[in-house]
Amino acid sequence: MNYSVNINVFQGPFELLFHLIEKKEIDIYDIPISEITDQYLEYLEEMMQFNMNVASEFIFMAATLIEIKSQLLLPKKEKEEDPRQELVAKLLEYKMFKDVSEELKKYEDESSFYFSKPREEMALTSDTNTEQISLNEINVYELYNVYLTLIKKQNFKIEQEEKFKLYRENYRVKDCMEDIAKKIRKYGKVSLFNTFKEKESISKEYIVTLFLAILELSNNKGMKIYQDNIFGDIIITSQERK
Amino acid sequence: MNIKSVLESLMFAWGEPLSINEISKILNMPAHSITFTLDEMISEFNDDEDRGLIIQKFGDSYQLTTKKDNYEYIQNLLETTVNKSLSTAAMETLSIIAYKQPVTKVEIERIRGVKCSQVVKGLIDKGLIKEVGRLDKPGRPVIFATTDEFLRHFGLSSIGELPNIGDIQDDKGTGELSS
Repeated sequence: MNYSVNINVFQGPFELLFHLIEKKEIDIYDIPISEITDQYLEYLEEMMQFNMNVASEFIFMAATLIEIKSQLLLPKKEKEEDPRQELVAKLLEYKMFKDVSEELKKYEDESSFYFSKPREEMALTSDTNTEQISLNEINVYELYNVYLTLIKKQNFKIEQEEKFKLYRENYRVKDCMEDIAKKIRKYGKVSLFNTFKEKESISKEYIVTLFLAILELSNNKGMKIYQDNIFGDIIITSQERK
Repeated sequence: MNIKSVLESLMFAWGEPLSINEISKILNMPAHSITFTLDEMISEFNDDEDRGLIIQKFGDSYQLTTKKDNYEYIQNLLETTVNKSLSTAAMETLSIIAYKQPVTKVEIERIRGVKCSQVVKGLIDKGLIKEVGRLDKPGRPVIFATTDEFLRHFGLSSIGELPNIGDIQDDKGTGELSS
């Protein structure tokens, strides 16, 4: 019983059948169905013993073999086709492509001797290029990066916060969302940079809350968030722009 | 403009197989004259023993690659990576698509005798095959064909270069078969 090692190698019932036929050196045009059926079933049993998931295709082939076997037992009528014919045709067709795939494998091996290099990427430096980021492409990290840029480049004053002291929250996401929504209704669009500049000094809490509010709004399908260039201002507007 | 010089630079920068159509658009020149020049360059490159690069043709695309003779040295230079060759199931499926294209998944499954959805999806992800439309039959099944990437992967310049089925059958002694 040492052939169990090979069992999971079989790609499908055709490959298993071919294995049996080749092992027994059987003439494919005159398959002893009874013998092959027994052997085939033996294999299936083996597979089940090893708790392998026997695919339905294997079972179907077993049924086909048994059907052919029973047909062969019946007395033959004249002009009747050999019940094995269809199976043999299928087997041969499968075998043909199996051979071809082995041949193609050689081509694949051969082509692995040649090296090429990946495509170059041209960095986009021009800021006249308007880049519109659709809502789906915006993620938390991009917003985070903008946050960092804001802090660095715009030189916002950030209040020193005392450690280990809990405050009541001064800003609420809901309020910020309403603020933005109100501005959009009024002006048509909202600039993130300007919103920050409105206050003389802003706390980390406000910045974070505003960002959360924008994230919440980005879930809202009516909203569109875009940026004219990398590290540039973020504009929030409603989808249906006139 | 030195056309050969430009073509060489384009192929270097692009890296991957570059299609005649693309070049034709960029240079604003008819495709056939570019094809003629590139074919000329292929023999110039390949005949020059001092060169380490050759131009390979895959379908309507051209690519700069290294010479096979230098494989050994390149291999010593590069870190070894995972073997990128395809599984048996993928190879069988791909063969059927290559020779019977355009072909439906049902037809592939009929020949292989097993379900092929996963394998077909894998081949699409690898860019070796693509959907090319739907069959005008009940259910309008999707039909698949091979891509230029398939040709590149197997080092073929066109589908016509696929090995002849009859020859393979003769070699294997499986006898005469119709496809």
